[in-house]
Amino acid sequence: MFKQRLSLVRQPFFWWVAGLLVVIAAGLAAAFIILTRGLVVTNLTDLVPWGFWIGIDLSSIALSAGAFLLSAAVYLLGIKKLQPVARTAVFMGLIGYSMAVLTLMLDIGRPDRFWHSLLYWNIHSPLWEVTMCVTLYLTVLALEVTPIVGQSGWFHGRWPKLGDRMASVHKIAPVLAIVGLCLSMLHQSSLGATYGVLKARPIWYRPGLAVLFIVSAMAAGPAMVVLASTIASKVTSRARVDKSLLDAVAQFIGWVLVAYLYLRFWDALSMSYTYEPARSEGLFYLTKGPLALNFWIGEIALGIVIPMLILLNRKWRQNTRLLVLALTFVVVGLVFYRWDTNMVGQLVVFNQMPQLLTPQYTQYRPSLIEIAAGAGIIAYGLLAFTIGVRSLGVVDHTLVEAHDEVPYVPATAVSTD
Amino acid sequence: MTDTTMNRRHFLKFGLAGLATTTISARYLTREAFSGPAPEEKSPHQWAMVIDQSKCTGCGYCVKACQAHNDVAPDKAWTRIMEAEPVGGKEVFLPMPCMQCQDAPCVDICPVKASYHRADGIVMMDYNKCIGCRYCEMACPYGARSFNWEEFTGPNPAVPAWGQPEVPRRPRGVVEKCSFCFQRIDRGLEYGLTPGVDQAATPACVVACPYGARIFGDLNDPNSPVSVALAENSSYRLREDLGTETRVFYLPMRDSETEDNEEIVPCSNNA
Repeated sequence: MFKQRLSLVRQPFFWWVAGLLVVIAAGLAAAFIILTRGLVVTNLTDLVPWGFWIGIDLSSIALSAGAFLLSAAVYLLGIKKLQPVARTAVFMGLIGYSMAVLTLMLDIGRPDRFWHSLLYWNIHSPLWEVTMCVTLYLTVLALEVTPIVGQSGWFHGRWPKLGDRMASVHKIAPVLAIVGLCLSMLHQSSLGATYGVLKARPIWYRPGLAVLFIVSAMAAGPAMVVLASTIASKVTSRARVDKSLLDAVAQFIGWVLVAYLYLRFWDALSMSYTYEPARSEGLFYLTKGPLALNFWIGEIALGIVIPMLILLNRKWRQNTRLLVLALTFVVVGLVFYRWDTNMVGQLVVFNQMPQLLTPQYTQYRPSLIEIAAGAGIIAYGLLAFTIGVRSLGVVDHTLVEAHDEVPYVPATAVSTD
Repeated sequence: MTDTTMNRRHFLKFGLAGLATTTISARYLTREAFSGPAPEEKSPHQWAMVIDQSKCTGCGYCVKACQAHNDVAPDKAWTRIMEAEPVGGKEVFLPMPCMQCQDAPCVDICPVKASYHRADGIVMMDYNKCIGCRYCEMACPYGARSFNWEEFTGPNPAVPAWGQPEVPRRPRGVVEKCSFCFQRIDRGLEYGLTPGVDQAATPACVVACPYGARIFGDLNDPNSPVSVALAENSSYRLREDLGTETRVFYLPMRDSETEDNEEIVPCSNNA
């Protein structure tokens, strides 16, 4: 007994899960403080009301974009061979969106009223549209994940009848793919529009943000899926990947990055002409000021240029190390982009004084409690993915999905490990 | 599992039809049951405020009165006084209540319609609806809104010296702002008083100003104090370029009061 435990402790898996649980516990403690004492424990202010958590929220939604893209590729474009990758994407999508919802529940002042936007509609508000879409899409993702859970050896071995029931939800996968595509096209871009419609913040007030948000998500979402699948396959034998499938997705990401770079270039260039109060200062803040390192290194070099070159070169992207590096850069670049976009409009605030054109500069640094709660939510996401890989076979390209006619045969019935 | 193609089509058809039905019926239900004050019939009044910068000394009486009458926490101000650029060596102040925009960004973007327009033009907050997302704080070009980061407990230092609270305190977690003292206007009208003329029916900040720098009234009434002040003086509004059509007008520090100050008059152009 003792020896068994000792061998468990020696496993890196044990330490991985234990570490995540510690972070989650810290996050829960932080969440408790936030919910009891209120948002006064954050470093947010009336001038910078959206901070660290919104960064997590925006990033996790964008990094979940693989779900709708790969579902659409499999069920609408008929690229059936990508089906195992779509499984992973859908599972990660559910994790990502639930992370976003958890973060928002902490972030809003009245979490007890989260359901208000479902009842009191303001169809003019991009944020209302995002809330509706996220709620509906979370339902779609839950339905899409139902058969994955039902078919898994772990679940099916215990409750075979219920497992079959849940597996049969797979029959509506094409419908879910269509609905998911529509909902994602709507809210991935209107998350950008949430900022883009605010005339009071000139650096945000432009049509480009909506387009840039969805295009960057189309690169980073699949990147997250391929990255997580590749890493999982290196770490555990329970994750099995078909490199040719991931390679196809990786090449696609490379081309999306080309489009993204093109749009970013014109978007930034068009803002650089003629002084416009608060917008010019905002652009300066991004490209030459305090956020310049984030912008040039994080967003452009790491986020676009370097991975684009690697992913479009067959030899380079077939080198697993380079591939992992490139995909990590894409993901990191997206987080930088969302973070900088959210911050820049709040750090450079337009002045209302009629005589003063120069904007007001504000400060924001997340408080320890904000960081702890955010880290807890990220740890929850990692733990959920770990469980998915270990027990639900979400990264298993050898698994043939019970797609329509083909009756399901559990491929990995409670294996020993 | 016998005819899967049929099944899929079936699901497509009925799934989408079901979704549409649910959405529409939910919308219908919400409209019937929950959507607060229905768009009211047109109000005969259109309230507005005029602030005369040449009279404002920045004494802050208006802020104190507002804090008492609206029970605003000491760390917040529904009406703030900014210091503007001096004119002719004379201090100039810019008192800023909520601008009560006719085309209000906060009303446009509030995801739950907690910010809305009353028929008489006042931009109102429904504190029972607000979820505290703070999107309106980013949308407001005038910084008129403040969030309740914590609950306001304990005595209000402005009470009773500056007045008695007339509205309930807002809970923690919602965004609050100036309402043109709608409670005074509404109750005053009930008693047959004229807002802007009778003190009991006029916003607390206007009543409290010892210099008469704030003027209030009905834009629809040509004889109201605001209509008269706007007809007799040149006025401006803040950030008119945004098209927000605010209901707060400013009378600038006038030249006549500074022109004796020779040294600040710019070089006359005799060319």
